[in-house]
Amino acid sequence: MSHIDNSGRGRNEGHVDEMSCLQYLEGLLERPRALEFSAHTEQCSDCRALLRALERESKLLSFALREQEEPVPARLLAGPARERTPWGWIVSFGLAASGAYWVWTSIIDPWQAQLAQAGFGGSDLLSTLFIQSALWKGWDTMWTMVQALAVISLGLVGFLLLRRTLRRWNTIALMMTVIVAALALPLGVSAIECHKANTNYTLPADQEVKDDLLVSGQTVRIDGTVDGDLFIFGQNLTVNGHVTGDVISGGSMLAINGTVDGNVRAFVGVLNIHGKVGKNVMEFGGTMLADSQSEIGWGVILYTGDVTLEGRIGRGITGRMGHASLDGFVGGDVSFKVNDSFDVGPHAQLLGKVQYTGPNQPAVAAGAKLINPIDVNIEAKTSNPDYIFSGMSLWHKLLFWGAAFIFGLVLLFIAPGFFDETIQTADRFGVSLGVGALVMIATPVLACIACFTVVGLGVGISTALLYLIALYGSKVFFAAWLGRGIFNWGRSKAGNAGPSEQQSFRTVTASGAMVGHLALGLVIIYAIRMVPYVGFWLAILAVVWGFGAMSITLFNRMRHGAVAI
Amino acid sequence: MNASEQQKLADLIARARTGNLEAWGDLYREFAAPIFRFCRRSLPAREDAEDATTEIFMKVREKLGQYDSSRPFQAWLYKVAANHCWDMLRRRRIRQDLETEGVEEMPLEHPDPSQLDQLLEQRSSQDMREALAKLPSRSRMALVLRYYTEMSYDEIAESLGLRRNFVGVVLLRARHQLREALAGQANSQGAAAGRGQ
Repeated sequence: MSHIDNSGRGRNEGHVDEMSCLQYLEGLLERPRALEFSAHTEQCSDCRALLRALERESKLLSFALREQEEPVPARLLAGPARERTPWGWIVSFGLAASGAYWVWTSIIDPWQAQLAQAGFGGSDLLSTLFIQSALWKGWDTMWTMVQALAVISLGLVGFLLLRRTLRRWNTIALMMTVIVAALALPLGVSAIECHKANTNYTLPADQEVKDDLLVSGQTVRIDGTVDGDLFIFGQNLTVNGHVTGDVISGGSMLAINGTVDGNVRAFVGVLNIHGKVGKNVMEFGGTMLADSQSEIGWGVILYTGDVTLEGRIGRGITGRMGHASLDGFVGGDVSFKVNDSFDVGPHAQLLGKVQYTGPNQPAVAAGAKLINPIDVNIEAKTSNPDYIFSGMSLWHKLLFWGAAFIFGLVLLFIAPGFFDETIQTADRFGVSLGVGALVMIATPVLACIACFTVVGLGVGISTALLYLIALYGSKVFFAAWLGRGIFNWGRSKAGNAGPSEQQSFRTVTASGAMVGHLALGLVIIYAIRMVPYVGFWLAILAVVWGFGAMSITLFNRMRHGAVAI
Repeated sequence: MNASEQQKLADLIARARTGNLEAWGDLYREFAAPIFRFCRRSLPAREDAEDATTEIFMKVREKLGQYDSSRPFQAWLYKVAANHCWDMLRRRRIRQDLETEGVEEMPLEHPDPSQLDQLLEQRSSQDMREALAKLPSRSRMALVLRYYTEMSYDEIAESLGLRRNFVGVVLLRARHQLREALAGQANSQGAAAGRGQ
C-alpha cells in the first residue's frame, strides 16, 4: 500500500503519502515496502517531518483518551451488591417511616384538626393554607395528599420503566414535566383585570368589575363591586365595596369595611376589619383588629404580633401571636400560643374549648361568658430561634436524622454522579457560599414573580415546591461533604493513606463509603444544632453552603450537557 | 501486567466462572473504571456511559463461560464493550452519519508537516477530547478502539462491521476530521481573544 509519488503532481511530488506514513508508524507495512519507505525517509526531510508530526499526533490522542481527569461514578465503583441482609437500610427505613408517622400524627394531624375547628376544614393542609379557592379553584379537589402522592409515585414508576431506554437526565426531565403538567392540567385560563397605579387607584362605588381584579398602588380603594377574587398590593388598602370572591393582599395596611363573600388572606402590617367576611381570615403580619361591628363567617388563623377580636366569629380561632385580646363572640374552639399575654374581655362569648399556651395566666374579665374553662398551659417565653426543636426529645431528633438520611440515600441512588460532583464542588466553599446565598434569595423572588404574573402560576408554585425540596437536600450534600472530610482527615492522621492515595480517594469514592460519610455528617449537623444560638446559625451556613454547591453542579451539568469529557 | 498479576487475574476469572460472587465483585471493581472511561470516550453523554458500563458487565457475567482464557482478558472485555457501545449508537441511529459515505476512496495526500505541527502546538488533552466529541460516531469510535484499547485493525474491522482494508481509511479520515475540529477550536479561541482586547 506504500505509495511514493514520482509524478510531480501536487504536494505528493516525490513524497510518501500520509496513509503509508501511518501504516509505517503502526508497523503494518510489509517488510519490502517498509524498507523502501525507510530508505526514502532517510533522504527526505519533509517525509521525516511528517512522520514525526503524525507520531506526535498519535501520542497526543492516546494520552487524551487515557487521561483520568474525570471521576468514575461512585455507584459504578461500588461494585455489584453483596447478597447480605441490609440491616443498615432496614434500620434507616424503619427510622424514616417512624419519623414520618410521628411528624404526621404529632404535628400535622393535630394542626389540621385545629384548622378544621377554626373553619378551615374540608380539604387538605396545603390547599387550606395557600391555595384553596383563592388562587386556583381546582386545587381544593385535586390537591389532596393522596392524589399528590399518587402522581409522584406514578412518576417514579415511569422513571424506573423508562430509564433503560432513555438517558437518565432526559427521563427525570420527562417525568418532572409530566408531574408538573398533571398538576397544572386542570388549571383553567381565567380572565383577570390588572391595574398598576403609581400613587392612587380607586374603583368607584357605582362600578362593577366582572372578573378577578389585580391592583397595585400606593393607596388602593375599592368602593365598587368585584365579581371575582381581588388581589391588592400597596401601602394603604381599603375595601369599602363588595368582593364576591376572596381577597389576597400584601402591604402595610388593609382595612375591610365592606363585604367579602369569600376568604381574606392578608400578609400586611396592620389588618383592620370593620365589615363582613363570609368565610375565613388568615393574617401573617403585625397587628389585627376586628372591631365590634365586624363579622367573620367561618374561622381565623393568625401568625401576628397583637390581636384584638371584638366582633363575631362563626367558628374557631387558631394561631401564634404576641398578645391576644378576645372581646366578642366565637362559635368554635380557640387554640392560642401566646408569647406575651392573653385577655378575655367582658363582652366575650366563647362557645368552644379554649386552649392557651403562654408565659402568664390569662386575664378573664368579670362579664365574660365561657362555656368551657380555659385549658392553660404555662410555658416560659423563649427567644431561641430554634424553638421548633425546643420540646423535642432525643428520640425525635433521631427520627429527623433518619428521615434526612433516607432522603440522602434516595438522592445517592437516583443521581450518584450528581451527588458525587456536588460534594466535590462543595470543596470550593467560597464560591459555594456566595452562589448559595444568591440563588437562595433569588429563587423565591422569581417564584413569586411567576405566581403573580398569573400565566406562570403553575410554574411559580412548582418552582417554590422544588425550592423547598432543594433546601432540604442541601443539608444532605453538606453532611456528606463534612463526613468525607472528617473521614479523610482521620485516615491521614492515622497514617493509612499516602498523599497520592488521599488525592485519588477524593475522586474515587465508593458509594458504600459515601453512605457512611452521609450518616456521619448528619449526626454532626444534628449534634451542632443542639448548641443554643450558634447551632442555629451554623445550620443555616451548612444549608447555604450545600445549596450553593448543588446550584453550581446543576449549572455545570446543564452547561456542558452532552459534551464529552 | 506482570506474570504474577496475570496469574492472579486468571485465578480470579476462574473463580468468577464458577459463580463465586466475591471473585466476580473483585473482577468488576478491577475493570469498572477503565470500561467506564472507554464508554465515556465512545458515547456522547456521561449518563449513557454509566448505563452502558452496567449493561456491559451484565453481559460479561453472562458470557464469562465463553471467554477463551488463552487470550488476554482485557482484549476480550474491550471487544464486548465495543460491540455494546456500537450497538447502542446504532439503536439510537446516531451512527448513520457518514455511513453512506464511501470509505473506499483512499486519500493519498501528503500534508504539510509544519502546518500539522503548528496545529498540534499548545493543544491540550482537554482540547483533544472536546474535538473528539465533535466527530461523527464511527470516526470517534475508530480512534477510541485504536488509541485507547489498542485494538488491531482486524478487531476494529470486526467491531465496526467494516472490511479490514477500509479500517486504515476510516482512521485516516477520522484524523482529518479531528484536525478540522481542532482548527475550528483554535479559530474560535482566537476570535474570542480578539474580541476581548
